[in-house]
Amino acid sequence: MNEILHPVQNGRVNGHESRVCGRANAVSTMATALKATGRSADAATKSMEADIPKSTRRARQYSPVAYLFVLPYLIAFVLFRFGPAIVGFLISLTDWQIVGKPNVVGLSNYRLLMSDPQFITSLANTGYFVLLTAPSLILLGLLLALLVDQRLHGRVITRTAIFMPYVVMSTVVGVIWLWLFNKESGILNYYLGLFGIRPVAWLTDPATAMPAVAMATLWWTVGFNMIIFLAGLQDVPQELEDAARVDGASEFNVFRHITLPLLAPATFVVVMLTLINTFQVFDQIYVMTGGGPSLATLTVILYLYDQAFTAFRLGYGSAVAYVVLVVLVALALIQRRLLPESEA
Amino acid sequence: MYHRKHHPLRILKQVILYVLLIGATLLALAPLLWMTSTAFKPESQVISYPPQWIPQSPTLANFQYILKNFAFGRWWFNSIFAAVVSTALVIVLDSLAAYAFARLNFRGSQALYALILSMLMVPMQVTIIPLYLLFSSVHLIDTLTAVLLPTTGNVTGIFLLRQFFRNIPLELEDAARIDGASHLQIWWRIMLPLSRPALVSVAIITFISSWNNFLWPLVVSYSDASRTLPVGIGQFFGGASGVSGSAPQFGPVMAAALLATLPAILVFLVLKSYFVRGITMSGMKG
Repeated sequence: MNEILHPVQNGRVNGHESRVCGRANAVSTMATALKATGRSADAATKSMEADIPKSTRRARQYSPVAYLFVLPYLIAFVLFRFGPAIVGFLISLTDWQIVGKPNVVGLSNYRLLMSDPQFITSLANTGYFVLLTAPSLILLGLLLALLVDQRLHGRVITRTAIFMPYVVMSTVVGVIWLWLFNKESGILNYYLGLFGIRPVAWLTDPATAMPAVAMATLWWTVGFNMIIFLAGLQDVPQELEDAARVDGASEFNVFRHITLPLLAPATFVVVMLTLINTFQVFDQIYVMTGGGPSLATLTVILYLYDQAFTAFRLGYGSAVAYVVLVVLVALALIQRRLLPESEA
Repeated sequence: MYHRKHHPLRILKQVILYVLLIGATLLALAPLLWMTSTAFKPESQVISYPPQWIPQSPTLANFQYILKNFAFGRWWFNSIFAAVVSTALVIVLDSLAAYAFARLNFRGSQALYALILSMLMVPMQVTIIPLYLLFSSVHLIDTLTAVLLPTTGNVTGIFLLRQFFRNIPLELEDAARIDGASHLQIWWRIMLPLSRPALVSVAIITFISSWNNFLWPLVVSYSDASRTLPVGIGQFFGGASGVSGSAPQFGPVMAAALLATLPAILVFLVLKSYFVRGITMSGMKG
């Protein structure tokens, strides 16, 4: 069994031909990119190079004209991405308000943050939101992908329907769910009422506000995870599953021992992106609750926005931004440890 | 192999699968259908028990109200303009640079590429404060230029295109070079035409992320001159804005939501396969 599985796990079952034609295995490409940010980028580049057919590799001539090709992008990259990422840290070391002269205060913004009850609340709320959304987004994404991968009539319609909310812009998602969750006249409470459940003050009760936002988020983005899992499932060779079935393996065992291990690259991408994206939640919350009621939905990015662009404490806001960055990088590193390294 | 098609257990399994399939479809579509239904209802019928999925007396009054009282057309134009221009810029800048990284040999290329990749994990949110200061120092706050330019510093496009270019056989290029083609000609005549699927994917990802971008435009636009659709909707129809607060006026709000959503859904339905490929290739939202 292992001998059959091994070459597939290395992602080479499609052969080089399909790659040359440009049908590169998209999911594992992205998985490689995401891992590259944790590992040294150089090593990652090398591991990617190993995938490239020999005919396209050869000694290249030294061509200074390359700088002209890279320059326009490089200017944009430095001005709008790299520069701001560095400058952001420097600003976090000052007490910059929008008016007046900034003073260098060292790490005192970070010290203040650690004892700032609103910041602590926002971190806890963000963690709560991630817990509410990430596991269900990942699991439901996988289950839906398995469902619409079955040979059933109308599965394409279901796929399209489930993915469709993802095309809706975040603020529109916010206003739609404001209406659905409305306590007095929202349809959610109406249908729950049919089961004898008294009207819930979804967005105005601190206990239900975050779960409500999480529900809207689930509806909005689960289709995205489903699509990535589906692409992963379609890379799983049918012959392997069939062979196991012939040998008498139950459906569950086929899934557990063949499908799931081969889905590892897709799983990696989904878990990573779900964690990154849910940790940065802002749009829906800004529209649906504005962080309320009584700070129950105040998340870190909301706090960053408030500090920097409502209170105009730019130094302090930058410190919040850097804490977010550190958490994201930590998440990426932890995740690389936990998930098996089995993709190409 | 026992393929007993009409075995009772098998039929039961099929029934359960179809129930799940239909249930999932309805749950996914219901909020969008309810939005559409509400948008066409006169104010007196927006709230009714039991809920009416099909408006009794459909009206366009909500749409007229929105178009009359808000610069909706302008938000629309701003969103389209920002998305189209940033997509065009990203395609040109990224494919030029990706060509150099994939094919040309120059000092520092490895280090430079590693530097670029290192920013893959740094989200926009971390950079909005310095970006805001940058654009305010050149007096570009509240302009479409400020809304769209930061998109050009993206990393995903470079990464995807470089990967794609590297997989194009060198022989094609060699032939062109023997004929005396310059690098610019090879980029334009060989790389770009052969990379159409990758370019379309990068274009779609860039377009969607610009079209949906909320936080940065929210920070940088103060007036209808540069306000995009997500910002207009978020600022004027959100829970804290009053329009839909204590005295809900969900008719007009849903009309605005529908106006903002319908084009995106139509484009999605037409270009579905490109969307799906773009999503799986990048797996990236922002």
